[in-house]
Amino acid sequence: MNIHTYEKVWLIAALVLIVGFIATITYGSVALGITMVGDQEETIEPSELNDDERFGEPRVEQVGENEYEAYVIAQTFTFYPDPIEVPADSEVTFYVTSRDVIHSFSVAGTNINTMVIPGEVSKMTVEFDEPDEYGVVCNEYCGDFHHTMEGLLHVVPEDEFDMTELSVEADDEIELGDEATFDVAVENAALDDLETTVTLEIGNETFEETITVAGGETHETTFEVDSSELGEGDHDWTVTVDDYEESGTLTVVEDLEDEDETDDGDDEDGDDDSDGDTDGGEDDE
Amino acid sequence: MSEARDAYIDNFPAEAKVVRAAFYSSFFALALGGVFGIIQTLHRTDFYRFIDPADYYTVLTAHGVFLVISFTIFFLVGIFTWAITTSLDREVEDIRFTWAWYLLMAVGITLSGIAILAGFIDSIDMSASVLFTFYAPLQAHPLFYIGLVLFVVGTWLAGLDWFRSWWAWKAENPDERIPLPTFMVLTTTLMWYLATLGVAVAILFFLLPWSLGLIETVNPLLTRTLFWFFGHPVVYFWLMPAYMMWYIMLPKVSGGKLFSDPLARVVFVLFLILSVPTGIHHQYLDPGIAEGFKFIAMTNTMFLLLPSLLTAFTVVASMEHGARQRGGTGYVGWLKALPWRDPVFAGMALAGLMFAAAGFSGMINAGMNINYLVHNTFWVVGHFHLTVGTAVALTFMAVTYWFLPQVTGKALWSRSVALGQVVLWFVGMTFMSNAMHRGGLLGIPRRTAEPQYDGFEFEAAVGSVGELDAQVALGGVLLTLSLVLFFANVIGTALNGRSDALPANEYAETLSGPEDAPLVLDNLKLWTAIAVVLVIFAYTFPLLSIIDRGGLLGPDVNPFPVSLESVAFLTFAVEHLGTAALESAGNAVQTVVPGVIR
Amino acid sequence: MDQATEELTQSRDREPERKREIGHDEFDPIGTLVLIGLYFLILVALWFFMYFVEFLGNDPTVVGLVLTVVGLQ
Repeated sequence: MNIHTYEKVWLIAALVLIVGFIATITYGSVALGITMVGDQEETIEPSELNDDERFGEPRVEQVGENEYEAYVIAQTFTFYPDPIEVPADSEVTFYVTSRDVIHSFSVAGTNINTMVIPGEVSKMTVEFDEPDEYGVVCNEYCGDFHHTMEGLLHVVPEDEFDMTELSVEADDEIELGDEATFDVAVENAALDDLETTVTLEIGNETFEETITVAGGETHETTFEVDSSELGEGDHDWTVTVDDYEESGTLTVVEDLEDEDETDDGDDEDGDDDSDGDTDGGEDDE
Repeated sequence: MSEARDAYIDNFPAEAKVVRAAFYSSFFALALGGVFGIIQTLHRTDFYRFIDPADYYTVLTAHGVFLVISFTIFFLVGIFTWAITTSLDREVEDIRFTWAWYLLMAVGITLSGIAILAGFIDSIDMSASVLFTFYAPLQAHPLFYIGLVLFVVGTWLAGLDWFRSWWAWKAENPDERIPLPTFMVLTTTLMWYLATLGVAVAILFFLLPWSLGLIETVNPLLTRTLFWFFGHPVVYFWLMPAYMMWYIMLPKVSGGKLFSDPLARVVFVLFLILSVPTGIHHQYLDPGIAEGFKFIAMTNTMFLLLPSLLTAFTVVASMEHGARQRGGTGYVGWLKALPWRDPVFAGMALAGLMFAAAGFSGMINAGMNINYLVHNTFWVVGHFHLTVGTAVALTFMAVTYWFLPQVTGKALWSRSVALGQVVLWFVGMTFMSNAMHRGGLLGIPRRTAEPQYDGFEFEAAVGSVGELDAQVALGGVLLTLSLVLFFANVIGTALNGRSDALPANEYAETLSGPEDAPLVLDNLKLWTAIAVVLVIFAYTFPLLSIIDRGGLLGPDVNPFPVSLESVAFLTFAVEHLGTAALESAGNAVQTVVPGVIR
Repeated sequence: MDQATEELTQSRDREPERKREIGHDEFDPIGTLVLIGLYFLILVALWFFMYFVEFLGNDPTVVGLVLTVVGLQ
């Protein structure tokens, strides 16, 4: 076969190019540790996601120091959870699956991008160094409203991130002289124990309690406040745990049963007061 | 027949009719595809929206299927038939058979087209807005799949037609080398047979029975993998005829000869053996396929660059030969001596230039881990608008200006309009595809009606999303204008009277001819066997693993949208036919098997 | 291209004007080598740009587990 010298030169250059491309990709895999979405995960039944340990409740979970796992469901035409919140300077492993058709989970402006195929779980481990806010899009056509399928991924500063959840149950209205109760539940979804202070402020008074919530546990505390100290009227209250705050208003009335009448006659406020004082008390609870 | 004239229609009047019919079918698809193209361009970029966003996906399906299935394949069966008859210098074996495969293809694509377009009409209980890739669990009306099957069977019969011609010719010329155009057609056809096995299995065993309600579920990863078994080599099915034009027509219109016949053969052999075992590179980001399989697919894909890079050299060298024969001089000065005012030359040369750029984005797409950056973004759309949308489409349009007179016997309506058309296409596609590539790097998704989101915006380091949208829309408008000029020329030519001054039906001679090519290159059986082995090597384990993991019929997933009423009748018909076919097959087996065992 | 060539290309025999015949042995495609060498350099430069700037600069990227994490699967 008769090949011109120049063409032989080009043939060799072309082979160098090809080998160079493969070498670059291999370098990315081996030296930089860039890993492809693969077949590491077992298959899953899309119709049974609700009963699945991981996908029953799509969420972010802490699995180690600075290590988190995010269980995400893509379905027509949303992602769960949304937004996904993870801390900066962490390593997050995403597990993404679909409830219905083929979607994608693609974080705009990053190399986080995977197909989401019903029956399969896409696993991607990613390191987040800096706080940022990203959009998540589905880039595989999934039906009529495909273009509305979007989500958010928040990488929050480490010191602003915790997996604490605060909920307060409190009375709206009590009778003067009764004890107002505040049931405070502090959930700690993180691995480590959480040592913190629960603070209740109401009127001019402040109550504090130092608690320790074990990793993955919920701690419940109850504050009882004597309403006679507060006096009649509306009292704003705030429960604070770290950066979390719950607030509301407690109304102390003279007599709960008389409430309607009280509303009728504003002028006689003073009289009602003194009446209720002796009346109400224990009966009303 | 004019004595002076030596055009294709004069030598092969019956075949010219079929080729003409194939061309007109192709152009009709191009017109439809173009209309849907401009609608979606303006909708997506938010310059003009008059359709419901949900209908965008029907528009997109129509745009994709009509352009990459009907436009390209009808055109290529036309030029392949031309290439076989011209280079073997013999009529087809049976013109009725030739018409039969053409009609089968036409009926098939019409059925699929009806299923797609019915998606616009709510009162018709039929739709196929599943895009060109028809990924399950998205489900189309059975008519869509049936139409595709008939179309593909039509192309198989076309291939058989070409092989019949070659077998007959070989019997009469046992010691001659296969003429280069025939060699190209045959290798491409063999590649196509191998490639379409994937889609045939996906449709016949899974998607069609599923759409008819005969099976409840399919394995989405399996049908998707079978699709890409076919989905990557299909791009070479579009590209090979364009390559053929660059090898056998471009040197001639440049005023030179093909630089090397042997290397052209090597290139087509490489495409035959390497095209199919690469499809998994479309699935780099699929869960359920091991990284090792992806790496093997990447290696095959990268080596598939070789025939294209060799083509670049041979084709440019052939052009240079022409330019120097025309008096061109210097290291790059010879480029000025090329016939840039000839639309056939200019169109093909510009298409080739665009393909050089497409080659680069293709190299990125071939890379495994870099796929995280570009997968399913607008980048990919930019890439294939350079490949199939320009390298192939513009080459086809350019050679149409040579072929149309050959198959109609009429002079081209206007060479200047033709020249303007090919230049306009080049300029329009430059704007559009450049902006698509850049948009993809920002993470803008493909296949999305309104890629403007509520919660966030795409951030451009250079320029802005608005600027990219403007470029895409401008490009789309220029491309549409270019199409208008193209059709003006096609219609103008068809309405012209008979011309006595047509060029002869010839293709390029060679500098280094087939006598320099080792005989083994013409051993099609050997290359086919190697291709089959490579496919088995690349696909057996991934497919077995997918079936082992997810089951043949996959998990419990509902079709989407839920099945339609009009399916019931079809189900009955197919079940009936299927049972009959199975029974006869069973009988056949009963009679044959004992014979074999004995 | 001059008027004569234009007419010639439009004529019945649309063979482009040929000033001389160059045979196989006297043709060295040096112009092709120059163009394709340029293409080679562009490809290499763009490849490096795309991989090391566009791709690796597009953090975060999917990485393997650097530490062995207990309790996967």
